[in-house]
Amino acid sequence: MRLLKWLLACLRETLAVMLHEVRLLRHDAGVLLVVVFALLIYGTLYALAYGRQVLRDVPIAVVDCSHTPSSRSLRTLLDASPDVAEAYDCADMAEAERLFYARKVYGVVYIPSDFERALMAGERPSVAVYCDAGYFLMYRALFKGAAEVVGEFGAKVAVERLLAAGVDAGRVQSVAQPVIYESYTLYNPYLGYATFIMPAIILIIIQQTALIGIGMVGGTWHEEGHYRLPMVSGRKRLSALAVVVGRTVVYAAIYALTATYMLVVHYRLFGYPMNGRTADCLAVVVPYVLASVLMGITLSLLFTRRESSLVWLLWSSVPVLLLSGASLPKEAFPEWMYLAGQILPSSSAVAAYVRVQTAGAPLSAVAVEVARLWMLVLAYGVSAIVGTYAVIRRQASTVGRDNDG
Amino acid sequence: MRRDAIYVALLALLPTVAFGFFALFFSNNAVENLPVAVLDRDRTPLSRKMVSMLDATAAVEVRFEPSDEWMGRRLMDEGEAYAVVLIPQGFGAAVGGGRSARVELYDSGLNISANGFIAKDVQTVVATFAGGVELQLLQSLGESRTQAMAQTLPLQFAPHILFNPTLDYGGYLAPCFMAMMLMIFSLLATVYAIGSELRLATADEWLRLSRGSMGVALAGKLLPVWLVLVWWAVVMLFLLFALLGVVQHGSWVVLVAATLLLVVCYQAVAMVVVALTANMRLALSLGGGYCVLAFTFSGLTFPEMAMAEPLRWLTHLFPFTYYVRIFIDQAVRGAPIGYALVDMSRMALFCVVPLLVVGRLRHICCERAYWGRR
Repeated sequence: MRLLKWLLACLRETLAVMLHEVRLLRHDAGVLLVVVFALLIYGTLYALAYGRQVLRDVPIAVVDCSHTPSSRSLRTLLDASPDVAEAYDCADMAEAERLFYARKVYGVVYIPSDFERALMAGERPSVAVYCDAGYFLMYRALFKGAAEVVGEFGAKVAVERLLAAGVDAGRVQSVAQPVIYESYTLYNPYLGYATFIMPAIILIIIQQTALIGIGMVGGTWHEEGHYRLPMVSGRKRLSALAVVVGRTVVYAAIYALTATYMLVVHYRLFGYPMNGRTADCLAVVVPYVLASVLMGITLSLLFTRRESSLVWLLWSSVPVLLLSGASLPKEAFPEWMYLAGQILPSSSAVAAYVRVQTAGAPLSAVAVEVARLWMLVLAYGVSAIVGTYAVIRRQASTVGRDNDG
Repeated sequence: MRRDAIYVALLALLPTVAFGFFALFFSNNAVENLPVAVLDRDRTPLSRKMVSMLDATAAVEVRFEPSDEWMGRRLMDEGEAYAVVLIPQGFGAAVGGGRSARVELYDSGLNISANGFIAKDVQTVVATFAGGVELQLLQSLGESRTQAMAQTLPLQFAPHILFNPTLDYGGYLAPCFMAMMLMIFSLLATVYAIGSELRLATADEWLRLSRGSMGVALAGKLLPVWLVLVWWAVVMLFLLFALLGVVQHGSWVVLVAATLLLVVCYQAVAMVVVALTANMRLALSLGGGYCVLAFTFSGLTFPEMAMAEPLRWLTHLFPFTYYVRIFIDQAVRGAPIGYALVDMSRMALFCVVPLLVVGRLRHICCERAYWGRR
């Protein structure tokens, strides 16, 4: 009986905290902007920017010093390739260089003057391709496009020669191409940029907006002294458990709506792959949202002013994305940083979600990440409760004194 | 200013942490040893040779040798391997018997940067291997070595990778990420400097101290902030060029001037945001949001030319876009200064915009209704 009474009191208090939190949110356009709308606005803007997914027809300049039927047929092949397009026909390299610096072209193909003669004489003329490896996607398209075309052109010449040399037609193929190489790109066959980066971006915006938004409300709690007084009558001071549970429920509910929109409706609108089972996706997203919210509540205890969280955390979005290993592979940076990054819910969630939803991996393949997420839920849950308890105790004992950030 | 925790955060603590983070993050020079699984169904000396050739490349490390396709797929599902190379049974026999052999690569498109490194190295290995086989075949057909070479590769593909030949993306990303941090701290610190006068309702006193001149008031307020930011700009350039070894083929004067201009640009943007919102907190949120978008629209990772038309216009709304171009043109490409001067004059336009809102800024400083707003 006493237990039941105690439970009811707890429930009543939790409810009071929830209503209180909703009231704070409703009257705060700045927080709503961060917690609710930022995910939708940023998610959509990034998705639109990356909308075309792949790079086609990178403009190049061709310096054709040969002007022969052979060089023209090579150029036709180049221009027909989906990766590059001949934008300028230059008289010399100096002109091509000017176009390159003016960012009119991103690569130069140089065909030497003795191209056809050397080809006929069997001397292996070289086709020089100048590309800028600074812009990853452009370099990739250019290098791949040019290498394929030169290879294709060369193979045609080789077959013709072998046939002319009297090699048996049945063997020509195996001599000219002794190893057939086939490459298949799984999960994202056209290497679409949005398909690659948007799942990570959406998940990371969820965490970052939760940290900043909850931090802003935490600042308001401090500024307005909400930690000081109980929210229901008959209590000496606030219960830390009720505060943490109440706040968690409110934010989890908000993110349940916005994250569902992003991961279902937005996903379909932009056509990102959805190969995972719904239950498997939920198994990743649910602990992720909980861990993010609880981490947000923990950090919010440190922010004594409403603007503090944004100032302290805004810069961290790029580092958080990098640490997840979703953009650059984790082998590209020091391992200890990757390991340290595991204290962020996003690191596990991004790795797991991309594999489950984009690649269609079964839940068992991401068990490690899901377990880590639940461990983070536990850790940040404990830190939120202990921290809230400490703040309530300190604040309740200083009732009447103004707090200064 | 010294007493305020937010100033300390924005002008001392966070820049230290942020620049330190990127300096450490990009301290590995290149991407090495991406784990790959090889399913060698052939197990002949020739197939083993292919495996060791793959392992010897810079980007690929043959970390797993699964016993079947299911295990290979499992390794990719678990995120342990980025790709599976399949050498089918009969590979060695086909090569020895003068028939075409096959090699298959199943790589993952989940991480397109890892994919790029792996695809390039595997393709190179297969081509080298095939070239060797072809040479032997032709020599066995009675061709001389040079003739055989010309037969196998009648065309020579000579790629000249201008700039960044080692494909070290740190050299591009580190400067841009660090500049992004400089931009964020410039904007937030400036918004905070002006905005806190409003929030703490001290704006009229601030203006009185400056004898009613908005220009003097702003200069007095922003000059110390600017000087601290200049210090961080210098630290940033030092870290990039001295510590991370980013190449420098251009003009130091232009680079330093452009970096200082970047700071001023975002201070100018900050003034406009405060003047328009008359609310420090909203100004911080909107200004911060504007900063975060700049990276995407700079076109460094996903090029501007691949964006759809109306979104391509947005790239011009961010001074950061021009800064990235200047940096790459100068430091990496060693381009003529003329191009940088054009971009710098575009950046300078952003610095003029606050002149349009000085009147409004004075108005909100003198109007009690705007004070203390949250």
